[in-house]
Amino acid sequence: MVKHHESHEEAANDRVMFGFWVYLMSDLLMFSILFAVYAVLSKNTLDGPTGREIFSRPLALAETLILLTSSFTSGVGMIAARKGNKQQVLGWFSATFLLGAAFLVLEMKEFTEFISEGHTISTNAFFSSFFALVGTHGLHIISALLWLGLILIFIMKRGLTTSMVRKLSLLSLFWHFLDIVWIFIFTFVYLRAFV
Amino acid sequence: MSQHAPRTHNRKDDEHGTLASYVAGFILSLLLTAGAYLLVENKALSGTVLLSAILGLAVLQMCVQILFFLHLGRGPKPLYNVVFFFGTVGIILMVVIGSVFIMNNLHYNMSPSETVRMLAQEESLSQVNGNKTGACQETHENHRVTINRGRATPYQVKAKLCDTLTFINEDTDLRDIAFGPHDDHKNYGGEAGVSLRTAYPKTITLNETGTFSYHDDLELSMTGTFTVVE
Repeated sequence: MVKHHESHEEAANDRVMFGFWVYLMSDLLMFSILFAVYAVLSKNTLDGPTGREIFSRPLALAETLILLTSSFTSGVGMIAARKGNKQQVLGWFSATFLLGAAFLVLEMKEFTEFISEGHTISTNAFFSSFFALVGTHGLHIISALLWLGLILIFIMKRGLTTSMVRKLSLLSLFWHFLDIVWIFIFTFVYLRAFV
Repeated sequence: MSQHAPRTHNRKDDEHGTLASYVAGFILSLLLTAGAYLLVENKALSGTVLLSAILGLAVLQMCVQILFFLHLGRGPKPLYNVVFFFGTVGIILMVVIGSVFIMNNLHYNMSPSETVRMLAQEESLSQVNGNKTGACQETHENHRVTINRGRATPYQVKAKLCDTLTFINEDTDLRDIAFGPHDDHKNYGGEAGVSLRTAYPKTITLNETGTFSYHDDLELSMTGTFTVVE
């Protein structure tokens, strides 16, 4: 009987995971279009500064390492979640949350610097496509952090239930996905500017 | 119930990976990131080779993370999400490569250097895409050519770069000033020609050096030249 129940549970999990996977793939399509737009427009600076002149490589590297580490901590947190270890889950996912917030702070710092120097989204095609691409990724990070924050509060209040583990596994899938998108932003936007 | 740990099965362990797989994925990702960063930092390669190298490293890192972090392909059979993933990658390749190819082609065909020069001249842009346009940031002396009874006076204009040249039509006919010989019109400074109505002078900026001839496309005997030096 228990066995029967669990196989239902597993089938439900598989369906939810597949549905979420379909969402991720359509999100990936949206990012790929923003990448294509950036590829086409990034040289149209209209006499303004180019990426090479304004991007900071160490800052981009720091953001990359932070996000990569957070992707790792969320993965390790998932192992703890499947073992049902609530304290470890809270620890690893709090680390993920803090690293994500640190990433966001660095990104906001970069954006506000650009804007205070007069480079806004409407300055030229280069900045439009830059803010659209990197900003969309940033919005994804913000929503993932809100989601993670809520899950952490629920786990603290109600404990590590099966449904919470399922939510965590979707979130960590989303988080790995955002890390992979960022690798391409790091390479194609930041590093490419210095090639 | 709330503290009840979800059971682990062999299938689940296989599907979700172990600490070792996360550590391996993390270390490999760090190495690939550092590799791409150092390649650009040290300019070990150049141009297209460097770009291909760092993009290759990014794709490699994506594969590493998909295998070690997402554990794609280790779920239950049949592997719908793997199929879906490769379908999406196929669409992405079509969309990205297709748009970049089409837009570059369009960009190439729609923006001949002459057009860029003309736009740059109008907007006083000294560089576009990092290339000098030769556009004059400020203009200097003004020269005038008066066209009266089918004759341009003075016939020869000598000017310096970034001077301006004004055409004045005192005849009643519309004049269509074209540059170069009649059978082989040239553009000057991005302008294909100057259309000149009676008593409406037109001014061009002399942003190319050399000697140039012009004529009225509607009255071929009306000709003149101007020489621009540095």
